[in-house]
Amino acid sequence: MNYIGEHSLIGEIGHLLVCINFVFCTLASISFFISSINSSLYQKWIKLSRISFFIHVFSVLGIISCLFIMIKSHYFEYQYVWQHSSLKLPTKYMISCFWEGQEGSFLLWIFWNFILGLFLIFKNKDWEAQLLTVISLIQSFLGSMLLGIYIFNIKIGSSPFTLIRNLEENINLPWTKLDNYIEIMPQFIDGRGLNPLLQNYWMVIHPPILFLGFSISMIPFCYAIVGLWKKKYSQWIKFALPWTYFAISILGTGILMGGAWAYESLSFGGFWAWDPVENSSLVPWIILVSSAHLMHIYRAKKIKLRLTFLITLLSFILVLYSSYLTRSGILGDTSVHAFAGGLGSQLLFFLIFVIISSFIIFLLNLKYIPNNKKEEHYSSREFWMFIGISTLLISAFQITWFTSIPVINKVFGTSMAPPIEIINLYNSWQIPLAIIIVLLIGLTQFLNYTKTNFKSYLNNIFSSIIFSIIVSLVMALNLKLWHPIYFILLFSCCLTTLLNIKYWKKIITSKFYFPGSSIAHIGFSLVIMGALVSNAKKNIISNNKDYIHKDFPQNENIYLEKGDTTKMDKYYVLYKSDSLEGINKKYEIEYFNKNKMGQLEYLFTLNPFIQLNNIMGNVAEPSTKHFLLYDVYSHLTFAETDEKDESNPYHHESIINLNTGDSIIYDKYFFYLDSLLVHANTKIESDKALDVLIIAKIRLKNIYGETFSTDLIYAVKDNVAQSFPGFIDDNGLKYKFIFSNVESEIGGIQIKAYEHILNDKPFIIMKAIIFPYINILWLGSILMGIGTLISFINLLKKQKID
Amino acid sequence: MKNSEITLTVVIMICIGIMLSLTFNASTYVTFSTAEKNFGKQFTVIGELNLDKEIIFEPKNNLLTFFASDSMKNVRKVFFYNTKPQDFERSEKITMKGFATDSGFIANSILMKCPSKYNEDQLNYNSEI
Repeated sequence: MNYIGEHSLIGEIGHLLVCINFVFCTLASISFFISSINSSLYQKWIKLSRISFFIHVFSVLGIISCLFIMIKSHYFEYQYVWQHSSLKLPTKYMISCFWEGQEGSFLLWIFWNFILGLFLIFKNKDWEAQLLTVISLIQSFLGSMLLGIYIFNIKIGSSPFTLIRNLEENINLPWTKLDNYIEIMPQFIDGRGLNPLLQNYWMVIHPPILFLGFSISMIPFCYAIVGLWKKKYSQWIKFALPWTYFAISILGTGILMGGAWAYESLSFGGFWAWDPVENSSLVPWIILVSSAHLMHIYRAKKIKLRLTFLITLLSFILVLYSSYLTRSGILGDTSVHAFAGGLGSQLLFFLIFVIISSFIIFLLNLKYIPNNKKEEHYSSREFWMFIGISTLLISAFQITWFTSIPVINKVFGTSMAPPIEIINLYNSWQIPLAIIIVLLIGLTQFLNYTKTNFKSYLNNIFSSIIFSIIVSLVMALNLKLWHPIYFILLFSCCLTTLLNIKYWKKIITSKFYFPGSSIAHIGFSLVIMGALVSNAKKNIISNNKDYIHKDFPQNENIYLEKGDTTKMDKYYVLYKSDSLEGINKKYEIEYFNKNKMGQLEYLFTLNPFIQLNNIMGNVAEPSTKHFLLYDVYSHLTFAETDEKDESNPYHHESIINLNTGDSIIYDKYFFYLDSLLVHANTKIESDKALDVLIIAKIRLKNIYGETFSTDLIYAVKDNVAQSFPGFIDDNGLKYKFIFSNVESEIGGIQIKAYEHILNDKPFIIMKAIIFPYINILWLGSILMGIGTLISFINLLKKQKID
Repeated sequence: MKNSEITLTVVIMICIGIMLSLTFNASTYVTFSTAEKNFGKQFTVIGELNLDKEIIFEPKNNLLTFFASDSMKNVRKVFFYNTKPQDFERSEKITMKGFATDSGFIANSILMKCPSKYNEDQLNYNSEI
């Protein structure tokens, strides 16, 4: 059957390319493997292997192009396009569609992997065949996630080229048999659109960087595997070390960018929330850092080689575990931003395959790996580095274990819920560990390998200790940060920063090269310092004074009526206006302070906004004013976004019963019924004359004593009553009154009173936080990224010289 | 014992400590009736929003009250002293952390699962034909 208006060709091409990609990845892996056996096979097979790999590269590029054309041309008959894009989606966010869905994000991962694979083909000829065997195998596992085909009733992968009518749940439904279904079904006119959270510039850049980090972490893993395979138990470190630094740099930057995104555009008020998704990218980073330092220890002292292998293998396994956690849907109730499930069992198979095969290779080689039993001296650099690494491993273990609660539940059949105070719990483990790690990063710098002279060591660090005590005391005094644990961490950060500056100066003069390690170490301690200070001393200035209980977060929000200026901590805030700009409803919040004369002085304006999205729900985005020493963050926790119905402007009916001369309180007024004039016709003079006419004279008095009066008329003709309402307008506060009935038994009348909908002033509820010294965190992030990148480049250069 | 062995022992002991500490710290998913046996103690209840009953948000008091039913279909009034989350009515499942009182469940935090946002829900194609 020919379906009208369906662009089936591009999907067929795409699907074909997906299959070609999978076949040639597998073929490349097999032929690279054969060519690695011996040199005669190498001559015969290497060409075929490379060609297969190149075909894989081109088919991936083809898949990406097909998918992009489909998104760009709005082919909503495809599930992927319909789910992640819409007609209104701006072009700049079309690229974000790639990583909103599972399939697209696998594609991104595969894309980075082949770029790295190509680099290795051209750069490392000796190790090429073995390395590319492993990489191609990983690629074919990842490529299988895109297949979307059934083998013996088991669905393998999920293809981005699936037509909606071919989805499992739609097969054989009556509408799929219609050749003009696209024309007659309105659902196909427009897609559901991109998740509003992703329509943000950070989300254009953060996922590719993070995935690049994941991809790079594959390379040290491959070198470790090939090192075992080729029995070159120490040479692999030379190649793996620069890539480990590259992975640390890129993955670290990616994670911190995620933090920046959360801080700038998410509503939880901070950059880190120990969310399972954040945790599962942090853990591989910690393991990569441990692995890099173990490699250094090995290079210097030829010890701990087995552990180095193990930890390097573990870093990539944790990347896979992380993607299993976030993509299988297992996190379910514990995280708000995990992907939905679907590929769980396939990912689990991939993970278990990698774990088992790498450990088999490791165990087979275990007895051949040189095991230097030399004991390290307690005053040696390697000993304290090893203590630092152990601390990092404990830290990673704690995060992994607590994040894995849903996995533990599944494996052991328990039903544990995440701890109630999960953030405090993470902090109470991680802060002491951070103190140890930060201190060691500083104190270890001036230790020598093998043995250190205690006296000269003390000479080296003494002045820095004194100086950092002074600096941290000044900072603590300024910030009132006297919590003992926090103060120790603050001091450690200061000390480590100073020691690393000192160490940096020392090595930069003795050698003609620009070392990155000290910059990265300074960066790390500044990140910790910034995180500590901005979190421990964050000040929620929108505290609501209506105190109920200290545990209720109710008192963290402020209620602002439009046009009113309200005091908020040291500021005065004015909700000035709101306007609709495209899909965003923008609010203008002006901040003032009171000067010495008692007058309000304008300071700045913040524009938090709400991205309106009917299909997926509105998303509120905060607005932050950045100063050098602190940030003022404002976020709308509630705002009425519905337009008011002006066609029926009076609401809130209240019924008032009263008699002449009575007064009652209505809304903000004293309400008087001054008099009732009754005209009753006893003689019938003409057909037009009324039978009864009653005029009620009412008066409202406000708190200033101003009065407003109006007449309500009640008329009866031929036993049919009609009422003519009266209106009152007090400076824009509008009311309507209707004389609705005569209560003859009690001798009074009944009036129905209504308020105008505009009497309720528009309001917003806002949360505002001051984050002190958060710029230290960003400065540290940049230094860490740059420092590790410099280390990567230096080591790559050194590798060439070797 | 050698330095490295001591370190290893310490690391393993701390890791075991972490493993055990989870069992002490983990809360459990309970029903409202379990929470009511211990007034004031913190629990996590997973429930569904009851859309038949009124959802009232009082902006000036920052109070959201609604009714939720737990897995045993017990319905309770829930007080949430915070602003009303975006798209609250759309939520499919609500994870509520808080404690029970005799007038209702007081939630300190709620986490919603919205079908439209995070799950790949399907179009309702068949209503058209």
